[in-house]
Amino acid sequence: MRRPRPSQTPLDPHGIDARGDPAATAIHTEGLSKRYGDTLALDRLDLTVARGEVYGYLGPNGAGKTTTIRLLLGLHRPTAGSGELFGVDAWRDPVAAHRRVAYVAGEPFLWPALTSAETFEFLARVHGGTDVAYRDVLVQRFQLDTRKKIRALSKGNRQKVQLIAALATRAELLLLDEPTAGLDPLMEMTFRECVEEAKQRGQTVFLSSHILSEVEALCDRVGILRKGRLVDQGTLQELRHLAAQTVEVTFAGGTPELPPLAGVHVESAGPNALRFEVSESIGPLIAALSVTGGSSIKTLTSREPSLEEIFLHHYDGSDGRVDG
Amino acid sequence: MASAAVSVASAPGSSAAAGLGAARALARRAFRDARVRTIAFAYLFALYAYIQPVGYRHAYPTLAGRLAFAHSFAGNAAIRLFYGYPYDPVTVAGYCAWRVGGTLAIVAPVFGLLAAVRALRTEEDAGRTELVLAGGVGRGTAYLSAMAAIAAGMLILWLAEFAGFLAGGLAAGGSAYLALATTSLVPVFVGVGALASQLAPTRRIALELGSATIGLFLLLRVIADTSSGAGWLRWATPLGWAEELRPFTGARPLVLLLPVAASALLLAAAARIAAGRDVGTGVIPSRDSAAPRLRLLSSPIAQALRGERGGLTVWLTCTGAFALVLGMVSASISSAGISKSIQREIAKYGSGSIATPTGYLAFVFIFFILAVSLFACAQIGAARQEEADERLETLLAQPVGRRGWLGGRLLLAASASVAISLVAGLLTWAGAVSQGVHISLPRMLEAGANCLPVALLFLGIAALAYAVVPRASSGIAYGLVTVAFLWELVGSLLGVPKWLVEVTPFQHVGFVPTQAFRPGAAAIMVGIGALAAAVALGVFARRDLAGS
Repeated sequence: MRRPRPSQTPLDPHGIDARGDPAATAIHTEGLSKRYGDTLALDRLDLTVARGEVYGYLGPNGAGKTTTIRLLLGLHRPTAGSGELFGVDAWRDPVAAHRRVAYVAGEPFLWPALTSAETFEFLARVHGGTDVAYRDVLVQRFQLDTRKKIRALSKGNRQKVQLIAALATRAELLLLDEPTAGLDPLMEMTFRECVEEAKQRGQTVFLSSHILSEVEALCDRVGILRKGRLVDQGTLQELRHLAAQTVEVTFAGGTPELPPLAGVHVESAGPNALRFEVSESIGPLIAALSVTGGSSIKTLTSREPSLEEIFLHHYDGSDGRVDG
Repeated sequence: MASAAVSVASAPGSSAAAGLGAARALARRAFRDARVRTIAFAYLFALYAYIQPVGYRHAYPTLAGRLAFAHSFAGNAAIRLFYGYPYDPVTVAGYCAWRVGGTLAIVAPVFGLLAAVRALRTEEDAGRTELVLAGGVGRGTAYLSAMAAIAAGMLILWLAEFAGFLAGGLAAGGSAYLALATTSLVPVFVGVGALASQLAPTRRIALELGSATIGLFLLLRVIADTSSGAGWLRWATPLGWAEELRPFTGARPLVLLLPVAASALLLAAAARIAAGRDVGTGVIPSRDSAAPRLRLLSSPIAQALRGERGGLTVWLTCTGAFALVLGMVSASISSAGISKSIQREIAKYGSGSIATPTGYLAFVFIFFILAVSLFACAQIGAARQEEADERLETLLAQPVGRRGWLGGRLLLAASASVAISLVAGLLTWAGAVSQGVHISLPRMLEAGANCLPVALLFLGIAALAYAVVPRASSGIAYGLVTVAFLWELVGSLLGVPKWLVEVTPFQHVGFVPTQAFRPGAAAIMVGIGALAAAVALGVFARRDLAGS
């Protein structure tokens, strides 16, 4: 099913170039688009996730995260473009593609009359390759009562059933669509441990989420989706260049008067303190500070933008710098 | 500003006004949810009410013909089994009271049950009741709103039937009363459905309880109408009350007190239980935990069979019980008093003579063909439900092919259809032989298997509808089967051209055991069904999954 990829494909500026080596690629899409009626749910997505990578797929509700996963799995048909899992187009050959994938849906849709244990048995038989011993460990760690019928479980517990079934397959690729929705904080920590373990075993993880701390803690690379378009992607380090860096300075006496500096926004942060939002080079600020108040500086802290700030930077509707 | 002033001024009554507003909104919502079903049933009621007087006039234009009809066909115990007791089959109105009343009196309870379970138990299963009750709406208000919506649907049903009779040329007063006699069963079975919704922990169990109740009452009516000396049993079943209202044949409106009282009692009991139990549960406890039973989990098809086991058992039991009763009744069939001309009229149904036990059994198998065809639709409905509830997405994200999944479901449906058909043949034989009728087992098994060509045709068509228009597929499948069957019953009476009568597949069945099995027609029907199924597999493999 592998097709030679056209050479004019734009190189992903941040990602790992896997074009020459399909064996190193877990997910690859080219111009993947989906239209539902009048709504363009996904717009020309070019995405490459290397094997062994943990990729965070960020976006608010309705951005197209679930659509992407449904297209990757071949559950919905692309309007244009193509997507491949390990070089296999899941629309054309879902069975071959799905053998190497475990999927956790955003909502746990399971069979209400089956118990968790029966659900595990069924999904293991259907998927194949389940590590039963590891599944038992996971059941312990997620504290699940497997005798309970699905219809008697809360949403969080049903989510655990999905997660355990998917993790226990030890599939090469975990496609996780907001997997921690409904989990309590303790279980969320357990989930993070499991993803870390999966990563150490060399499994690839595609984590769709809008929980920024989760993505920040787990992911090697992050893609940000907005209204069906991938507006930014890269490592966290790379993404930080876009958002402003925050510098806070406290002075021994009063705050000095600084000349206006390009790319620096100043505001008061207390009687003897100033906060600078630096969106370009930090050099001019340092120079200005050393000239006007160098001797009176008591403390200086510099903080990189959090993922939340990067995220909000992309989603702030009034922000004209980003054009989805 | 004005509205704020008004609401302040009317503060003491404002909560009542808000309650009324909420009740209205809820009732409107419930009515909208039920609109497709309401329209379908209203259409059926109107069509059936219209077509019977027209067909009767056409088939029996003279009094002599009607008298002969009354003495033979209408007096036949086996026919009474389906339509009830004919009080005056010689007049158009009396005939309609018998035929329409008899048939729609079975359909009306189904409507009532479905409406109540949908509005009460399905809403609760889906968690919407909890949402509504959390929003400052009392349990009483929610219950009454649901009932108001059903009452509106019932009124539409009554109007449809009334209009059908009027269009068919019956008198207005009598038509109104006959339509009332039929629809008076709806609130009784809304009551049954409401009560079942309180008792059962799930929608499925509520429907099974309600269906069993309808089946029991139908059986009582059948015994009352066919066994001598058992006429009093009519008073023990709501379906008998509808007969005892005697529309057009000496009306007894006081009997209406029975359905009114029964409805009031059932609805009050349901309301009382609804007010006192935990939302989301039923009186019958549902087992929340169980030791794992790992059989039938090895593949999607095995698991589908596991899910359908309960329903399949109900189908097999009901079909088997009915087949046994029909087999036993067949012993009482004799040709005494049936004229040649009447036999020719009856032959227009396509089954040949029904004046002998075997002829009668051949005739009644048309109802088993209908039942197996409806079962096929129900199986496609179950497949659609897997998709609507998005469990299919969970399954197809596994290494499971779409063709394999749907093909497996079709295979399951076809195999179960074979089982039901053979059970019908076997138990009809057992019933007949137990009463001393001489009939061969292989021949009756053949009669059973003879249900399959039509059922497989409809299975294929239902599968195609499911692949192409998933959300409308159940309506299309059930609608086609119903229309085809009604056309079989009345088409031949209307004097329309032969080719038009023969549009329905039921016309192409050789009624075993009196007629020969028609291999050619059967092959064509199975062929069309297989082709439709093959196209369905192709289309289904290439479309987006569609949630609810």
